Amino acid sequence: MIDYHFDWAVIARNADKLGDALLLGLWLAVVSLVIGSVIGLLAAYARVSGKRWLSGPVWAYVEFIRCTPLLLLIFFLYFGLPEFDISFLDKTQSFVLSLSLYAGAYMCEVFRAGLASIPKQYVEAAKAIGMRPWQRQVYVVLPVMFRITLPSIGNNLISLFKDTSLAAAIAVPELTFTARQINANTFRVMEVWLTASALYLASAYLIAMILRLLERRYASIR
Amino acid sequence: MGVQDDISSTEDQGLSLERRSLFGLGLAGAAIGGAAAASLLAPTAALAQTVSKSKLYTIKERGKLIVGTGSTNPPWHFQDASGKLVGMDIDLARLLAKSLFDDYDKVEFVLQGSDARIPSLVTDKVDIVVQWMTVTAGRAQQVDFTVPYYREGVGLLMLARGGKYKDYAELKAAGSAVTVGGMQNVFLEEWIHKALPQAKVDAFDSPDSAMQALNARRVDASMQDQSAMRWLMQQAPGRFVDSGFGWMPNSYASAVKPGDPTWLNWVNTVYREAMLGVDFDYFAASYKKWFGIELPIPKVGFPQEFA
Repeated sequence: MIDYHFDWAVIARNADKLGDALLLGLWLAVVSLVIGSVIGLLAAYARVSGKRWLSGPVWAYVEFIRCTPLLLLIFFLYFGLPEFDISFLDKTQSFVLSLSLYAGAYMCEVFRAGLASIPKQYVEAAKAIGMRPWQRQVYVVLPVMFRITLPSIGNNLISLFKDTSLAAAIAVPELTFTARQINANTFRVMEVWLTASALYLASAYLIAMILRLLERRYASIR
Repeated sequence: MGVQDDISSTEDQGLSLERRSLFGLGLAGAAIGGAAAASLLAPTAALAQTVSKSKLYTIKERGKLIVGTGSTNPPWHFQDASGKLVGMDIDLARLLAKSLFDDYDKVEFVLQGSDARIPSLVTDKVDIVVQWMTVTAGRAQQVDFTVPYYREGVGLLMLARGGKYKDYAELKAAGSAVTVGGMQNVFLEEWIHKALPQAKVDAFDSPDSAMQALNARRVDASMQDQSAMRWLMQQAPGRFVDSGFGWMPNSYASAVKPGDPTWLNWVNTVYREAMLGVDFDYFAASYKKWFGIELPIPKVGFPQEFA
């Protein structure tokens, strides 16, 4: 081991700062997942609608987002839009919008697969008992689809949580930004990054555990 | 930033200028050790040698000046579009060469990080360091500083058009409504709050992000080195303005190995006469080129003390 003297007091002194930063990261991920799910659901319906004027633009949106780095989207919304006089979003809102658009594209694919995997018989059965089209969606298709896609939604939440570290690039005070700031002030590089890693690991693992419980409870429909 | 330049800067690999190896440093160290041992045996002889043989004469005999500097910090020492080493520090080094040999090109640049400035002098790898070196009392115990040639400090760079505030007075009056950006470093918040106690601070991890935050009006002002501000204003005329307030003064000077008053005095003479005497035109032209500022001609017809 290299000759490095650990001083964990730095972490203790900044514990509240790191805690706030972690919560902000989790909050950013959850909000983005919720907004992204709404975008994704609408986009998924547009994709399967069979109408080209609807599915075409959505296809372009999904492929554009999936094939460009998230950091570029963040930079574009934060640094680029003000060049066109669009600057009513502050740094945190602008990041949430970036992450939501990003999540939306991925959720669109998840939901599209979910919609496609619902057995035809379910819809036919719903028709047979006289449900209207919207009732078939709300009472039959969506509940089943959410159960089928639950593991994928969970995966997306974990990956979105890790992606919140990119917000450091535009000075949003989440965990990575805060860790870097403490580093700059104290030069306790090892302690700070080890702690940040442990916090990311523990939080992501905790999310995974909760999701597994949810899946056990709800995702068992076949 | 002035003090922060201690942290070693990255070096460019592309330059074909000579770079001394660590092995060379070791040899020089051994040579010093040898010299120290010799001086223990014959103290009077060694003393006589340091008094009689100044570096000034060694350089004259060698036929070229060896200067330690960097290559990554505009407008002080950097590579221009054609890859040539240019900048204010480089101009000063060339003036020394011209004053020694009547030839601006009789100079060899040894590129080094900021952390090599003192070691390269102490081990005789270079004759002089011309590398935006901030004068501090601590460093002055290890090397001899020449007269300073620039007073560095920080300032607030603002957009000339489209910003919410016009100058420092308006920024100060706006209190906590103001956001100031800058490069992430130990002093960032402390320094900004010295000028604007209530301002919000946004720290960015790269100089280009910090600049783009200002361009995109994400921050109202950007804290920069005074020299970097002038360089940016010079590069994009009409785009930026100086808020008019500068603080955190520190002096840039060259440094030489201690214990050689003849060489130190000679460099001081050249620097002083560049700023106030025969080489003023050269110094002023260089100043105008890198900082975009016309230096006033020193008042003539009086002793310096009266001007």
